[in-house]
Amino acid sequence: MSFADLISSANAAASTIGAYIPDSIFIAIAAATIIGALVTVLARSLIYALMGLVTTMFGIAGLYIYLNSPFLAMMQILIYVGAITILIAFAIMLAGPMYKHPREWSGIIRFAASLIISSLSFIFLYKVLIRTDWIQGGVNEFGLTTKGIGRVLFDKLTFPFELISLLIVVAIMGAIMLALLSKEEK
Amino acid sequence: MTDQFLYNNLNIYLFISVFLLCAGILGIAFRRTLIGMLISVELILNGAGLNFVALNRFLDPDNAYGVIFTLFIMGIAAAEAAIALGVILLIFRKFKHIEGDKLKEMKD
Repeated sequence: MSFADLISSANAAASTIGAYIPDSIFIAIAAATIIGALVTVLARSLIYALMGLVTTMFGIAGLYIYLNSPFLAMMQILIYVGAITILIAFAIMLAGPMYKHPREWSGIIRFAASLIISSLSFIFLYKVLIRTDWIQGGVNEFGLTTKGIGRVLFDKLTFPFELISLLIVVAIMGAIMLALLSKEEK
Repeated sequence: MTDQFLYNNLNIYLFISVFLLCAGILGIAFRRTLIGMLISVELILNGAGLNFVALNRFLDPDNAYGVIFTLFIMGIAAAEAAIALGVILLIFRKFKHIEGDKLKEMKD
């Protein structure tokens, strides 16, 4: 066996090992997402549920990276993990003594009923998902850049963008008004 | 639609988003406090966003409408969280609890 053969066989071995690395990272990210969702729903304490929500958000950001849209992954971490989670954490701390309600769960009958509802909808949607034949369009590579997103956002979708900003302004004003009104009542 | 890599399949992303949707439905149905229900709603919104991006990437990779719609969903989720948490704080100041079952009146 010559040296070049050795090199080529080593390269082949490395490529077969390397072929498993993206999939294993992907499976880890998907498992983190699913386990985080389960913790979010089933945890007894609201703080633990919030930690599960953070895990789910990070997992979904990783899935966005696997879907070739890293800008969306950064936005996911910024908005959800950075803003909404902190907002919910403040609400948990402000909305009172949680130690008075250690049991976040309702009764066992209600839990069974909601479990039946959600698992029935899961089975139905899973059947639909399996039986649908999706038509794949275009090439396999996404190749979407942040520049392209900005182009589409300001060339074609300017009006919805402005509507969203108007909605956020109105929501912030509404939240401030709610806080002011509750102060006056005291 | 199948590829040699697992992450190049559309179905696994759709499976994850269906799982998030059903976990959110479960959480909304049996959580006692309003904040728990709000956290479950965030799960559902995330599942919807993942669905949009996956369908955009696999079915229509030349356009970016799914990605931009997901950005809009994020903005709407932020606004919704701000309003809902303001309402929850008001309810807590008025009734001294935030349990969804015990709220039977909306005004006084």
